[in-house]
Amino acid sequence: MEALKTLRTEIVPLCINSSKVCELSSCIVSPSPSALVGCHSQGAVRAKSRSKLLEELQKLLPPTVMIPERRLEHLVEQALDLQRDACMFHNSLEGEMSLYTDHQCGKDKIPSRTLQVNVNGGVSLKHKLSGHQKPVSHVSWSPDDCQLLTCGVEEAVRCWDVSSGECLRIYEKAGVGLVSCGWSPDGKLVFAGINDRSICMWDLDGKELECWKGQRTLQISDLEIASNGNQIISICKDTAILLFDREAKAEKFIEEDHTITSFSLSRDCRFLLVNLLNQEIHLWNIEGEAKFIAKYKGHKRERFIIRSCFGGFEEAFIASGSEDSQVYIWHKSSGELIEVLPGHSGSVNCVSWNPANPHMLASASDDRTIRIWGLNKINMKRKGTHPNGTHYCNGGT
Amino acid sequence: MGRLFIESLNGPKIFKCKCCKVDSASHDDIISKDFQGRYGRAYLFKNVILFLPLPPSLQCVDFWVNISLGPNEDRHLMSGLHTVNDIYCSSCQQILGWRYEKAYEESEKYKEGLFILEKERMLKEGW
Repeated sequence: MEALKTLRTEIVPLCINSSKVCELSSCIVSPSPSALVGCHSQGAVRAKSRSKLLEELQKLLPPTVMIPERRLEHLVEQALDLQRDACMFHNSLEGEMSLYTDHQCGKDKIPSRTLQVNVNGGVSLKHKLSGHQKPVSHVSWSPDDCQLLTCGVEEAVRCWDVSSGECLRIYEKAGVGLVSCGWSPDGKLVFAGINDRSICMWDLDGKELECWKGQRTLQISDLEIASNGNQIISICKDTAILLFDREAKAEKFIEEDHTITSFSLSRDCRFLLVNLLNQEIHLWNIEGEAKFIAKYKGHKRERFIIRSCFGGFEEAFIASGSEDSQVYIWHKSSGELIEVLPGHSGSVNCVSWNPANPHMLASASDDRTIRIWGLNKINMKRKGTHPNGTHYCNGGT
Repeated sequence: MGRLFIESLNGPKIFKCKCCKVDSASHDDIISKDFQGRYGRAYLFKNVILFLPLPPSLQCVDFWVNISLGPNEDRHLMSGLHTVNDIYCSSCQQILGWRYEKAYEESEKYKEGLFILEKERMLKEGW
């Protein structure tokens, strides 16, 4: 304290050799021998120790005395984040957020216009994969998008090469029928639900590696493999979904009050979208303990399995088919129904939002067509010769 | 057609739609075999296939599996005036029978909420 006093009141007012003064004050602040020894690095050490001291002080002092570093910047960023989250139609990366007005997107970035019906347009038929004798109930893309698994109901699972259309392998099991299929995230394992309620796992050469018996799946159930390939998700009971960790041999459940008809996993494997018999779609967080988060209503489901999916920029939206021939889109976090798309003339059984293009959606219907939906560019000045998508092409799947 | 969501009954004795073999009702739920339908003999059931595992408090006749419910209709049956709903197989849409929504005579009130399945439209399994 005496040294400090001397420094302050006697030496500094002399205004000579200020660098020496700085040196002396840093010695008082952090009297470590190493700081005295290395003279060329002394500047850096001094600066570092000063800012480090400031940091330590900031942590100790309450914010009312000393405002945290970059507080204003943090507040502004927070405001922008909140505005973005509240924006129900936010579906692109490009929108710059301005500080002059609150951010609010228009609906123009949500796919709402039919771009194409069946094969007349930008998206074209690549292959027709023939081989299954029974209706195909499930389709699963390999993680590298080069192969496709398809499941014939109560029959077999086939693995196809996407570029050639060739059937690479058939997975089947004597005496039982396969009812669902899924890839492991590393692309090395193939899983299938069996009609005896068990789930089996094969390697890519067709060798059966494991079979989990018991009430793991149902005759009508989806199958997803999540996390690092360890979590197997399937409907195990009318009103429950089983999340089975095959490595830890642990089970956790999603229990619902009504019968579950189908489900869908988000790309980040954190959320599950569950379709119920009572025409509700429920969102569950499946990290740790499964937690119910939100419900989506409005679409119609009475007889069929209607599928829904996550989609859009950062999967901020939920899309679903409906028996009233329309595609329904909700904003995921608010639960608000934001678009209902007419166009199909039969029950829309499933939808798929393009994971690479947040402005494109596909839907499949009992009217035997697949529609591609995109942005509604009504603001374009040019009188468009856009194909209206009303040219139907009757074709099988 | 899209993929129908259908359920299966546990048995042992099950009635299925004759046309498409989708489960309709369980033999255990028969109350009487002495009824007459449009096509001859019919059975009175206390339940048809519903989402079975739920406790009665959660079961709700608004949501069905395997069977579709038609609109309310007032009909003069042999036993008097009733409000009924025709029931159809959800898969092939064949008429399977009807459900009693309301009976107007005291002696017939016991039938409210019960189901008639036509023997001619059914296939038996497990006998």
